[in-house]
Amino acid sequence: MASLLTSTVVVGLAPILVFLWPAPPKGQKKLAVTVALDKPVDQLANGEAIKFDAPSSPNTAFVMANGGGDNAPGALAFGGFAVKDTQGKAHVFAINCSHLGCPIAYVQASSDHPDTTFDCPCHGSRFHLDGTVLHGPATAPLSDLSWKQGTDPKTIVVDGLELGF
Amino acid sequence: MRIPHPREIQVATVDWLDERYPFTKSVDEALYQRVPNFANAFYYCFGGMVFILVVLQLLTGILLSLYYVPDATGIPAPAYTSVNYIQSTVYLGWLIRGVHFWGANILIIMVLLHMARVYWTGSYRAPRELNWMVGVVMLLLILAFSLTGYLLPWDQKAYFATEVTIKIAGLPPPPQLGEFIRQILQGGPVVGPPTLQRFFTIHVFLLPALITLLMYVHFRFIRAHGISEPM
Repeated sequence: MASLLTSTVVVGLAPILVFLWPAPPKGQKKLAVTVALDKPVDQLANGEAIKFDAPSSPNTAFVMANGGGDNAPGALAFGGFAVKDTQGKAHVFAINCSHLGCPIAYVQASSDHPDTTFDCPCHGSRFHLDGTVLHGPATAPLSDLSWKQGTDPKTIVVDGLELGF
Repeated sequence: MRIPHPREIQVATVDWLDERYPFTKSVDEALYQRVPNFANAFYYCFGGMVFILVVLQLLTGILLSLYYVPDATGIPAPAYTSVNYIQSTVYLGWLIRGVHFWGANILIIMVLLHMARVYWTGSYRAPRELNWMVGVVMLLLILAFSLTGYLLPWDQKAYFATEVTIKIAGLPPPPQLGEFIRQILQGGPVVGPPTLQRFFTIHVFLLPALITLLMYVHFRFIRAHGISEPM
């Protein structure tokens, strides 16, 4: 009797749980997103960064390459930075702080801000321009985006996802 | 034909009903209860005020649902523009939405005051423990109302507040469980149109039904136990 009851409940609940599990929206697909920048990445000065956003028509997000901290490989980002660090190496980072995912800001050195860094407005994490942590609470570096140079030198092509809504 | 006096129509109608179900008896039992003198203190009214606020929320919520569109696709999304429309164009829309908004805030305060009173007067003690438990469940339902309702205007504050709460909801270990909860709440890879749809359904269909049922249970318990004497 008890097993009959249990199986009835399971048979009744299983379809509901399956129904609640989100299906990927129609039209959701991987996409190589072409992002136009103000200038080619290789012409950035050392310590210079350009912020860019994911296109909103169609609604698109970038896919993080390596994650770290709150970010995970495959997690989505709605913006990023193309940056050349102080050693002259180019990076493309997802915009999300590795602490709790707030969008970081590019802050240039000034009298009360000795280094040019990525600063997070939420809890004060700071990152060097190569993505490593300068100041907590974040403990993991910024996540890279997988990218390559576009055909137009002023563009980069970034791995992304068309969201389908 | 003699025209019956209105009084006779009334008596005949009530008699007809009472022959089929004892309505008069039920109504008398529900209404003619002597309130003990100790329950005349103002702090014994907090629960009733919560009830009135919940009724007010149901009424204003039904009115808002006539104009609100739970659709978050596009920029700006209909969810956002419809709230804007309620605020600025609908006659007295600002008033109805204002009552719903402030009612929700005051409701939480009154629930906490009611709870504090029940604690202070020891009204949770035997045999009333079950009613305290029902009350705690209703407190959680009220908080769930607040959480789901907060997303519906679909502005920046709503969006990012919900992103934080869903992130917290996805924390319980093991990670697969957290991920499961997050997916079920979020309805997709990011907080987006499916999330709004889900929160809207929870806010407008699921929670009102549950809280109505539990309020009924709560009140039947009170009637069964009587109002507790102060310690």
